[in-house]
Amino acid sequence: MSEFSDWFKDTFKGCYCEKGNLVDERRFSEIVQLVLDNEADEESRAIFEEKIRTCVKSCGSFEKEKSLRETIKQKLFDHKKDIPNDLAASIKKSINL
Amino acid sequence: MSEQEVNTDNQETQRQKYSDKEAARIFDQEFMPHVNSMYNFAYRLTFDEDDAKDLVQDTYLKAFRFINSFEQGTNAKAWLFRILKNSFINEFRKKSKQPAKVDYNEVESYYNSDDIDENITTDLRVETVQHMIGDEITSALNGIPVDFRTVIILSDLEGFTYEEMSKILDIPIGTVRSRLHRARNMLKDKLAVYAKEMGYNK
Repeated sequence: MSEFSDWFKDTFKGCYCEKGNLVDERRFSEIVQLVLDNEADEESRAIFEEKIRTCVKSCGSFEKEKSLRETIKQKLFDHKKDIPNDLAASIKKSINL
Repeated sequence: MSEQEVNTDNQETQRQKYSDKEAARIFDQEFMPHVNSMYNFAYRLTFDEDDAKDLVQDTYLKAFRFINSFEQGTNAKAWLFRILKNSFINEFRKKSKQPAKVDYNEVESYYNSDDIDENITTDLRVETVQHMIGDEITSALNGIPVDFRTVIILSDLEGFTYEEMSKILDIPIGTVRSRLHRARNMLKDKLAVYAKEMGYNK
């Protein structure tokens, strides 16, 4: 997905860090998603890491999104439905295994 | 159910010729370990234990019937999820006990519109979500349209990559990315509304 790195650079171009002003929050939020989903290529990830290392607002947004994601994920994961006891056996039986 | 519906890409898959013994081994060792994930996916689609059970059984029967379309060494879990998703769309969605009927095109076009930017900055605090219980988060997830709910389940609960999701759902990777982004924002919106109603933000 190397096409993303230009998109990363382009998004960060308009960010005035010294004013704590992340210009395009929507695009930043999509970039964060790619990073957290491990879908950003190495170059894009490096650009992103440099950005959050030097921009307080970007770093704060990233950390918040990361924590939210982990919390929601964990709670959904812990709330999985128990599989009916007989399901695996009845599947095997239905195909004569 | 056509053979094309079980294939994981648009190209014609080379058919295998497994012996009965090989087919039984593949089914037992490569397909059956995913039954738990399959049941949870089915339940989150249908909201009904019996329907989920039927959907999983139906999926496994189809998987066995078309086992020669499965190539060993490829992703069995993604292959099974694709069959389940197609079965749900073709057969179960019609009789699903899900109460809300949603025009998915309308939802897609709304979330594709420029208005989306207005809703992107949901103020949902991490502490608020930490106070919620699994039931509440699950209800919020269940409250978003099935096409959006599906991408969250596949990505966050089942760990599929965008490429795998693209094959399971028959949509381009770019659509996976944008749908997932919108889905997560919809979930956050639901959670924020719920938190406000329950006074979690006080």
